[in-house]
Amino acid sequence: MKSVGKFGLWMVIAVAGATALAKIALQRGESLSAIWFVVAAVCVYIVAFRFYSSFIATRLLALNDTRATPAERHDDGRDFVPTNKWVLFGHHFAAIAGPGPLVGPTLAAQFGYLPGTLWLIAGAVLAGCVQDFIILFCSIRRDGKSVGEMARDEVGRRGGFLAQLAVLAIMVILLGVVALVIVNALKSSPWATFTLAMTIPIALLLGLYLRFLRPGRVLEASVIGVALVLFVVVAGQWVAESPAWGSFFTLTGITLAFALIGYGFAASALPVWLLLAPRDYLSSFIKAGAVFSLAAGILVVRPHVLMPPLTRFIDGSGPVFAGKIFPFCFITIACGAISGFHSLISSGTTPKMILRESQARLIGYGAMLLESFVGVMAMVAACAMTPGVYFAINSPAAIVGSTPEAAAATISAWGYPLDAGTMTGLARAVGEQTLLNRAGGAPSLAVGMAQIFSSTIGGDKLLGIWYHFAIMFEALFILTVLDAGTRVGRFMIQELGGHVWKRFGRTSWLPGALLSSALIVGGWGYFLYQGVIDPLGGINSLWPLFGIANQLLGAVALVVATTILLKMGRLKWIWVTVAPMVWLVTVTMTASYQKIFSANPRIGFLSFARLLASQVAAGKIPAAKLADTQRVIFNQRLDAVVTAILATMVTVLIVEGLMQWYGILSGKGDTALHETPYVRTRWAPEFSGGVRGDV
Amino acid sequence: MREVCRTMETALRKFWRGVREWCGDTAYETYLGSARQPDSSCVRLTPEEFYVEQLERKYSRPNRCC
Repeated sequence: MKSVGKFGLWMVIAVAGATALAKIALQRGESLSAIWFVVAAVCVYIVAFRFYSSFIATRLLALNDTRATPAERHDDGRDFVPTNKWVLFGHHFAAIAGPGPLVGPTLAAQFGYLPGTLWLIAGAVLAGCVQDFIILFCSIRRDGKSVGEMARDEVGRRGGFLAQLAVLAIMVILLGVVALVIVNALKSSPWATFTLAMTIPIALLLGLYLRFLRPGRVLEASVIGVALVLFVVVAGQWVAESPAWGSFFTLTGITLAFALIGYGFAASALPVWLLLAPRDYLSSFIKAGAVFSLAAGILVVRPHVLMPPLTRFIDGSGPVFAGKIFPFCFITIACGAISGFHSLISSGTTPKMILRESQARLIGYGAMLLESFVGVMAMVAACAMTPGVYFAINSPAAIVGSTPEAAAATISAWGYPLDAGTMTGLARAVGEQTLLNRAGGAPSLAVGMAQIFSSTIGGDKLLGIWYHFAIMFEALFILTVLDAGTRVGRFMIQELGGHVWKRFGRTSWLPGALLSSALIVGGWGYFLYQGVIDPLGGINSLWPLFGIANQLLGAVALVVATTILLKMGRLKWIWVTVAPMVWLVTVTMTASYQKIFSANPRIGFLSFARLLASQVAAGKIPAAKLADTQRVIFNQRLDAVVTAILATMVTVLIVEGLMQWYGILSGKGDTALHETPYVRTRWAPEFSGGVRGDV
Repeated sequence: MREVCRTMETALRKFWRGVREWCGDTAYETYLGSARQPDSSCVRLTPEEFYVEQLERKYSRPNRCC
């Protein structure tokens, strides 16, 4: 009787999910309630977690709870800390959830809501969660080794070195792109600039409080910090309305870019307790609060999605970024469905804190499902505004013009009616001078979130506060990624340089720290600067580059996972990692080829460079813009070279993996697994981490 | 009624403990617990030393994603 009831419940969940997916896919001509998106996503996640992750846990990985995890064997209260599974789930989710699942789906909404939503759900369930779960498992079995170390041990020395270089390359591109998202959100916005600038003294204050007054009292310091941040969001309006202060905080893109570069250098070189860590605490609390508020807002307001399921831009002529659904929708969504960067987290802190192998299922697979849900919510928020407004905010001036009238005329001609007064009125309502040409996803997501929040609390009167709260929330945790990433990049450069000059590898040596900080900041700062001066807004070139780098890292992680599974003798189920790997390689290699060689200047780096060079040669570029144009030509060629290098590195690693697989399957190669030996757990089965040592 | 209150109180205590663990408030207590283990060989750090050392370690590897 009980099993009949269970079967009935699972049938209800499956039918509800299928109905909601059908509604999303087949609805034409009418607006659609956001609730359908929530039901579709949640039902698919529940079914996938219950059945697919269980299949992976039992058949593919054979998780073994009698085996002591690194947290038990090396428990030192520092790196290896046995942690309650829900607390670790929170840690892991806070680490993997960055700006990607918010910005990517917002940009991909230019194709309509359908392709992005389907990929967010299917990609997470079949690829992203699988990668995170299996890499976490592999790292647990190897004392918490990183994906690079596992690549070196299991695939080969060259594989390990390439994985390390790929991580550094993706870091540089990632930091440049996320910094560009902040610049596009803050330029000519004194309210947002003031709010974000004030988070620096607030973080410094918290840093001093936590270091000298109340060491380690993170919760009370964070409460004080969050209250101060909320105050400066409100105070930003007074600053923006003051003629003197308003103009002081009204900055151009280039000024903001240099300010961010200076900030990144300082955050990397200063003691970590002073600026980086307290900002991270603030960011974590505000991130958790904003994500749950957005979910609650969508459930309460139940906004209608006004964007059509498919727009005319599926043909590749999109104004936000150029390129067809395949491969560019997948490259753009990136982290919301699968992120190569997650493999670094899954093989970093988390495996050293897990209590039991079986908990890897909840933490690896489950946390990625939640990240995918954040992506679905971002898609809903972006699609809940009228399409005309969405395109006006996200399109560069070179395509839609820089005045409300020009933008309204161009966008209306595309079939998405827009009145010039709507954009002026919306900008005024949110306390901005203009919302036009703010490519990057953050401002349009902030408008969508503000509309949802203000429908719940405050109405139109609070629209400006909600908009700037959303901008602050996005910018704050992008800045956290920026400073934490810069510091990690600095350590990577010092580690690589240490092979050549030992002293340089010592992280406490000041000249080495300053030089390596300057190198990493110079790297991402260059990409940021190139994005700011790009006539097409930068996002068109740089976001696909970031997506390609990120997805290639995902392919690297899946090559490592497949090699380990083959060595474990799991040939029968190897499609679990091979299928997403083949898909990722196909998508990223196609995108890389098109970004380098496409004859369409809006897609191909080289053809755009050729077009500009021919205009220079024909004397069509005014003398005042000649230097900038030459720089853009150089940058386009540089982007082509970077894309080619990334694709080549991953191709070499895949070939290395294929040779290894051939060796394993033919019995001629190295089949030795580099797992730590089995040690039986001393903990009682019911031990949950609450009380230490209950043997 | 008393039973319900007790259950609620236990749940809230667990939740509060979880929040403190999640944000790192209990890290030093956990460290002390570990240092008290019979087989532990580490020199015990003061709260200030532990706080700085823990942050240095945490932010020297990828811990925030895109």
